[in-house]
Amino acid sequence: MRRIQKFAAVLGALAAATALAGSARAQEKPEIWHYYAAGSEKAGIDALIDYANKQNPDNPVGQRVIPGNVVELRRQLQTALLGGQPPAAYQSSMASELKTFVDGGRLHDLSAVWAEIKGDEIFPEGIQRVVKIGGKPYGIPFDLSLINNVFYNKAIFEKMEITPPANWDELVAACKTLREGGVEPLGNAGGPFWSLYNFYAPLVSTVGVDGYYKIASGEMGFDTPEFRKALQLYRDTMVSCYAKNWSGKTWTQTADDVVNNNTGMFMMGIWASAYFKQAGFAPGEKFDVFPAPGTDGKVIFQMDAFAVPEGPEATVKAAEGFIRAATSPKGLESFAVPKGSLAPSTAVPASIYDYAGKKFAEQYAAASKANAVLPNLFFLLPTKVGTELGNQIERFAIDPSESTENEVISTLEALRQEALAEEAYTKW
Amino acid sequence: MAHMPAKAGWSRTTLTFAGFLALPVALFAVFFLYPIVSTFYLSLHDWDGVAQNMRFIGLRNYWVLSAQPRFYHAVLNNISWLVFMLLGPTALGLLLAAVLDRGLRGERAFRIIFFLPFTIPAVAVAAIWRWVYEPSNGLLTTLMRNVGLGEFAQNWLGDPGVVNFALMGAVLWWTTGFAFLVFFAGLRNIPVELLEAARIEGATPWQSFWRVSFPLLWPSTIIVLGISAIDAMRLFDIVWATTSGGPAYASEVLATQMYDVAFGRFEMGRASAISVYLLLIAGVVIMPYIAYMSRRVADSEAD
Repeated sequence: MRRIQKFAAVLGALAAATALAGSARAQEKPEIWHYYAAGSEKAGIDALIDYANKQNPDNPVGQRVIPGNVVELRRQLQTALLGGQPPAAYQSSMASELKTFVDGGRLHDLSAVWAEIKGDEIFPEGIQRVVKIGGKPYGIPFDLSLINNVFYNKAIFEKMEITPPANWDELVAACKTLREGGVEPLGNAGGPFWSLYNFYAPLVSTVGVDGYYKIASGEMGFDTPEFRKALQLYRDTMVSCYAKNWSGKTWTQTADDVVNNNTGMFMMGIWASAYFKQAGFAPGEKFDVFPAPGTDGKVIFQMDAFAVPEGPEATVKAAEGFIRAATSPKGLESFAVPKGSLAPSTAVPASIYDYAGKKFAEQYAAASKANAVLPNLFFLLPTKVGTELGNQIERFAIDPSESTENEVISTLEALRQEALAEEAYTKW
Repeated sequence: MAHMPAKAGWSRTTLTFAGFLALPVALFAVFFLYPIVSTFYLSLHDWDGVAQNMRFIGLRNYWVLSAQPRFYHAVLNNISWLVFMLLGPTALGLLLAAVLDRGLRGERAFRIIFFLPFTIPAVAVAAIWRWVYEPSNGLLTTLMRNVGLGEFAQNWLGDPGVVNFALMGAVLWWTTGFAFLVFFAGLRNIPVELLEAARIEGATPWQSFWRVSFPLLWPSTIIVLGISAIDAMRLFDIVWATTSGGPAYASEVLATQMYDVAFGRFEMGRASAISVYLLLIAGVVIMPYIAYMSRRVADSEAD
């Protein structure tokens, strides 16, 4: 019996140690969760948090990296919310992603911070509509990347006397010249995002800005002639240009192919610019960019915002203080420059960027004035429809046959009907 | 103690046993039974994992899945993996163990070399093989090109018809070390007298292996086969870290589909239904093994 008592004592000691660890955790700094684990992304977030902490010496925040991507961060966040231990703030995608957490009653209304930083003035309309749910802001944008630009290898273009294509015919002609010259014309990479991001250009070319938003709201079906036409334009242009074996590569492996003069062009988010620079491939000298055909004068963007879960008053206050500093022009600059992305605020001057960044900033400013700033469709759609769209477009890019085209359309349309029945669509 | 007369209530011995059993039983109930019951409960609901409330929908998640080609594709992939795991690493591990058991020079070094990949975490294995399988300039394609087999090089991880074989190649490299180690230990435990007797009777090394060593390796074989079957059913990390189930679901298995549906699409109920299906399928595959092993343990205790 004495042994049992000893055993119980050990268990008691363990429980006490756990409780102590718990209370120690409670005394730690409020945390910002993100998935920027390495390279230029990590350098950017480190600089941002350092800057914000210098502005708020009495309320400093810490950070926790959740390695992976938005899916891994969601998993950790869901667990933390269920356990009642959410972070002070976290890196969130826009639109449907934010809405899911708002509908679940998990997020704090950021109207007060939004008003202080003059959100309605510094963020273009296309950005405001994807962070406001029911008219209230629940995310404050801090990281913006354009995803409608094509990077090209300048030396190859000069050698083959190719000028940056301005329309689809010129793109196909450039691909032909590159292929005849022994260079793979257009890089792409495996995964549900990259083919989809490429597809947006033929989609916008075909359905226009209004049609793009109609697909996002579920008003335009995937079985419409317009959507089919967009698929066919994608097949006849970009898919026909894709490099051999593209689907077996990661985007960084394809970027390496551009650096190594094996591939002429690569349509990728502007974060590729930072990767090229790190590889010694200087913007303006070794590579340049042009907007994908059909997107001139418009930008399609991917964006991250800080969202704040409901929590203790002190934690929410610390998160709001952090966001206030982080989304000031200086805070946004401290992140955008090392990361190689754009500051979403129009208050940040274009002079902070390098050659490529200035070009992107000019595109962004022009599109903002023309009210042609288009959010990534993936996040405008209900989450399950967006994810399926990514997979189906990749499938079509691998096998652009008529039978695959029909299957892609019927799969997506069935899912759209299901989502409509569940009232899962939102008019952004 | 065992002969102490039973008093009213529990004896001290029984209480002691109960005390020692309490923790494992509690752990089993909390970390094994509760999650299973909870997962089944979740599978009967529509829930995004974030909302405060769930909506009861009965068995709808099960019906929806049973009509999805994507689901059946993942089931088939799991079955392919099962066949592969039972045959591939097992056969190669046995071969390597048998070769090394012949008393090769540098045996210790080979033992380490064969076992080393098994010690590498799945995510690191995935990173290594993503580079090996890079289709233009990866190690495998370059090697094949250098020996004149370049035309047979494939789009290893990007071709839906090839990707599963490519992943199996990586897993063969990664897990064979375990089978090798178990078989090698088994071979070294076979009494030398038996092999000596066979040799004196004029058995060739081939006959000696198949007629003497292999039958005596049955305990090792059953361990390797059982664990391989379990590994095939719970396969997740290497597939997720290498291809995330792609391209376009081609390499998806039930565990990766469950993860994608749960966290990629906010459909916790449907993902739970996938988990329950996986549990049932794994049960069908693995229960005979567990029953067999239990019988063996009971037999050996009876001996």
